[in-house]
Amino acid sequence: MRKSKAEKYLLAAIFLYLFIIIFPFIWVFLTSLKPESEIWGRRALRVFSDNMSFQHYQTLFRGNVLNALKNSLIISTITTVYVTIVASLAGYAIARLEFIGKKLMLLIILGTSMFPQMIVIGPIYRTFVRLGWTNSYFITLPYSMIALPISIFILVNHFSKIPKEMEESAVMDGASQFLTFYKIILPLALPGIFTAAIMTFIGVWNEFLLSLTLNTNAAYHTAPVAISFLRGQFEIFWGQVTAATVIVTIPTLLIVLLFQKQIISGITSGAVKE
Amino acid sequence: MKRIASLLLILVMLFVFVACDTAEPAEPEEPTAEEPEEPPAEEPETPEEEPEAEPADDKTTIKFAVQADSTDALNQIVAAFNEKSENYQVEAIIMTNDSGQMHDQLLNTLSSKSGEYDVISMDVVWAGEFAAAGYLDPIDELIQDNGWLPTDFNKGSMDSGKYAGKNYVLPYFPDLGFLFVRTDIVSEEDLAILQSGDYTYDDLLAMAEMYQGEANTEYGYVFQAKQYEGLVVNLNEFTANWADIEGGLSTMKAYMDAGILPDDILNYDEGATHTAFLNGEAVFGRNWPYMNGMIAAGDQEVTSDQVDFAPLPAGGSVGGWILGINAAGQNKEGAEEFLSFVAGPEGQKINATVGSYLPGYNELLEDADVQASNALLTNPGFTKALEMTIARPVVANYAEVSDQIQLLTHSFLSGNSELEEAVSGIEAVLE
Amino acid sequence: MKIKRFLERKTAYLFILPALILIILFSIWPIVASLRYAFFDLQLNDQARSDLYTEASYNLRLHNETIDYIRYYLNIDESVVQTDEAHQAIAELRQQVDAFDEYVETNVVQGLEPVVSIDQEKETEITRHKNEIIAGLESFYTLEDEFYSPEDMMAVVGEFNTSLIQSNYMGLENFERVMTDHRVRSTLTFTLIFTFVSVFFELILGLALALIMNKAMAGRGLIRTVSLIPWAIPTSVAAMMWSYLYDGSSGIVANLFANIGIVEQSTDLLLQSSKALLAIIIADVWKTTPYMALLLLAGLQTIPNSLYESSSLEGANRWHQFRYITLPLLKTSIFVALLFRTLDAFRVFDLIYVLTGGGPGGTTESISIYAYKVMFAQTRFGYGAAIVLIMALAVGLITWLYVKSLNVKLIED
Repeated sequence: MRKSKAEKYLLAAIFLYLFIIIFPFIWVFLTSLKPESEIWGRRALRVFSDNMSFQHYQTLFRGNVLNALKNSLIISTITTVYVTIVASLAGYAIARLEFIGKKLMLLIILGTSMFPQMIVIGPIYRTFVRLGWTNSYFITLPYSMIALPISIFILVNHFSKIPKEMEESAVMDGASQFLTFYKIILPLALPGIFTAAIMTFIGVWNEFLLSLTLNTNAAYHTAPVAISFLRGQFEIFWGQVTAATVIVTIPTLLIVLLFQKQIISGITSGAVKE
Repeated sequence: MKRIASLLLILVMLFVFVACDTAEPAEPEEPTAEEPEEPPAEEPETPEEEPEAEPADDKTTIKFAVQADSTDALNQIVAAFNEKSENYQVEAIIMTNDSGQMHDQLLNTLSSKSGEYDVISMDVVWAGEFAAAGYLDPIDELIQDNGWLPTDFNKGSMDSGKYAGKNYVLPYFPDLGFLFVRTDIVSEEDLAILQSGDYTYDDLLAMAEMYQGEANTEYGYVFQAKQYEGLVVNLNEFTANWADIEGGLSTMKAYMDAGILPDDILNYDEGATHTAFLNGEAVFGRNWPYMNGMIAAGDQEVTSDQVDFAPLPAGGSVGGWILGINAAGQNKEGAEEFLSFVAGPEGQKINATVGSYLPGYNELLEDADVQASNALLTNPGFTKALEMTIARPVVANYAEVSDQIQLLTHSFLSGNSELEEAVSGIEAVLE
Repeated sequence: MKIKRFLERKTAYLFILPALILIILFSIWPIVASLRYAFFDLQLNDQARSDLYTEASYNLRLHNETIDYIRYYLNIDESVVQTDEAHQAIAELRQQVDAFDEYVETNVVQGLEPVVSIDQEKETEITRHKNEIIAGLESFYTLEDEFYSPEDMMAVVGEFNTSLIQSNYMGLENFERVMTDHRVRSTLTFTLIFTFVSVFFELILGLALALIMNKAMAGRGLIRTVSLIPWAIPTSVAAMMWSYLYDGSSGIVANLFANIGIVEQSTDLLLQSSKALLAIIIADVWKTTPYMALLLLAGLQTIPNSLYESSSLEGANRWHQFRYITLPLLKTSIFVALLFRTLDAFRVFDLIYVLTGGGPGGTTESISIYAYKVMFAQTRFGYGAAIVLIMALAVGLITWLYVKSLNVKLIED
């Protein structure tokens, strides 16, 4: 099929946009291949260096970054799984079921996300110390604070768009509330659920302050914390930081790549009708 | 349903993948429970074991919160102590080198009255605050029990840890600001004047203007004027320890207007300073001793034989790190034993010879091994600088004072406010 | 029917329960625990104000330390002083110190508590003892003799004053101070500007991106993956990255801006307040547009294709479709996206902290950064909590305005 002029312009615009978006990342990647002495100063603006190498990556792999990546994966995955389950249940109840205090619940969820994180860190830290939970994967519990509100809101929005008739017919057939939710609603809401899950995953993946405070032991550092350690008293090891930025970005991209089909599954299933 | 199942499967696989990748035995269980009654039960067992091999004997562990050391000195100090001590062994908890972050983290721990750390390493400017807050134990008794006097240690460091008539700290390693000079540009006579310490900031400005441009240099002088603690350090020096605030500020402004500084000097921190100086872009530079370590390590445009040192006109600010004992710690005796070891001659000698840090225990300045490992200690310009140190204010609310000074100074230098405003503001803050 | 209603309600609560428990434990409780501070003059670096005290108290730990230090300095002075008078005075001072210690031991100490509350009578008695010792020492140092260190000794006895703690409950005073604090006003203004400008651009770009991502076209996977890159980089790291790109001499973006005339010189970018604001907004839009797009994409998914199909049969063009089908049906999603981005942007911290630290001269300081500095750098947790509370109220107000102006119902009544 011949492309119209408008479509060509659109395509060009998209590519320009994508280039602008990806340019800083490409630059960071190129920088990660330069020797430390060419990262700053007169030669910093050259696109390629004559001495490109993977030396910074090698240095990184000898350090703590792989371990931190592992921690980030574990912590983000656990949080994503449980937050998505909890948020699906809550989101469904708010969107579909009758109960007193529904508005209050929404208000509470919204209200708690108005406060900056620094305010909760002190009390949580003290509790963790008392329970002996510092330096462990228990950090996934307070991460609910970051992820739950937005997940619940996305899912309420999604569940409420699913036609009531489908679930009413299921209830007529005698299915229990839970079965209806599980068999009918959940599959229909999959795109929303995946969006919520990815939001959670990346939100947790990017979190810094709680992780730094609760897990001080290097064995439990997450990737952003490990990167913040790539510095001396007066200098930042830019070669390693840029290399680490590239490494840390790859897993999340892989996940997006893997799951992007699921994100758009709603369209193809065609089950959602007004 | 297939989709959910496949999602779970992939997650499980991810888990297995990352778990196999490590030696750690503890495995998180895969969450499958969906009963709404239960709060999430997916948490893995807390793996308690530290990855490092722990000695099997029954020594009590002392926890030392310390910023990362790029040299091997810290490891060797810990090893030497563990070797020597009969009842205690030390575990170093490595904190970030971002000192702002480390401060906040320590504040969080200490204010929780948590005994997570026994001995803590602090930037010199935190001691007043931590001591006033009651987070540190005074250590005069410890000094006495070791047969020492407070004067046996670096004065600047000890001063910064003296609060309400009590000593709270011993030096870990002192630091001081001084002038780096390009000897391949600056004449011997001028170098001699600088090294005598008998000159003013105006003299330095004149020299910077004169030499700028020679040997491909772009700037006459580089120092730190970003809005951060370093600006207070530099203003401390320009104002001769706050003796002449108006003069100091206008001199700083004169430097900016003379065209000898980089355009973005107001964004210069130590990193930008050493980049410019080590790339051969500046004639003079104000920095800490670490920059000499970078020069000595080689691989820079500027080499050791092109650089000499001199005191700053009105003295250099004291920086560096000091050690104190957490008042909420569980093992006071062990903490005292370790502190005495690190700050005493044995620990300080390791720190000086292995890490090339300045020794905080004064006697070591004369020690042949120490002198051999740090060329600065025998340099006439540097030893002169060592005599001319000045401290920043020791007050409980230092951060607040510093924050205000940074704001007022940066605002003045960037042309957003008038001189009088900055001067009266800073005077009021220092009250 | 009633039974059914009842069952449904029970199920609903069961469904809600896990989320509620988590929110109470890890959001509400810690927030309440911290916000209590707003009613106290809580300042960690002053032992007389470093905890919440609603009644007069005495710090026994500091008291004991002070007594020990006075004895220690008296011992040194005893070996330094020459005259009989001075020796006499030291003996008297020792008695006074012993008497004070004795009084506190027998009347004030309760078990092992480091700080105990005291009544009026004890407070008077402690004050009497304390003043007696201070006066004694003052006259001691006026004697003609050599002393070890009068300044240190007087500084040490000053700690008796710090040990005597008054209630630091101050009601709404912190809030009154916040209202008149010009730095709160300037940081709040800056934060509002930043929030509205960034969120506006993020919405426009995010919507465009979402529409593109939703379009069935070749390379959709690539587009989707590439456009999500910025979001996948941790904020703390992205901020560092931008600080490198914006660097006056070595930063490619700063030099590019200088070349195309956005700034006069590459070094101006972070040093002029308006340009620094621009730099911060660009970095933020870059970072969070994908987030916005993904939220909107989720909403686009729920619009049935059939609607578009039938409308194109009726001859509607693309713009009409967008205007009369996409936008109305996307309203709730836009609302959710706007709301959460606004809440996030209002709390902006990492990005600015790394890029400008609030400079030049405090002109890019966000209210989060100010609150953080007050709390963590200056340890004034009481005042900091009050700032945070005001900030939350401001966000609440914005949210309310959103709800009113967009007229959105997330749930049916």
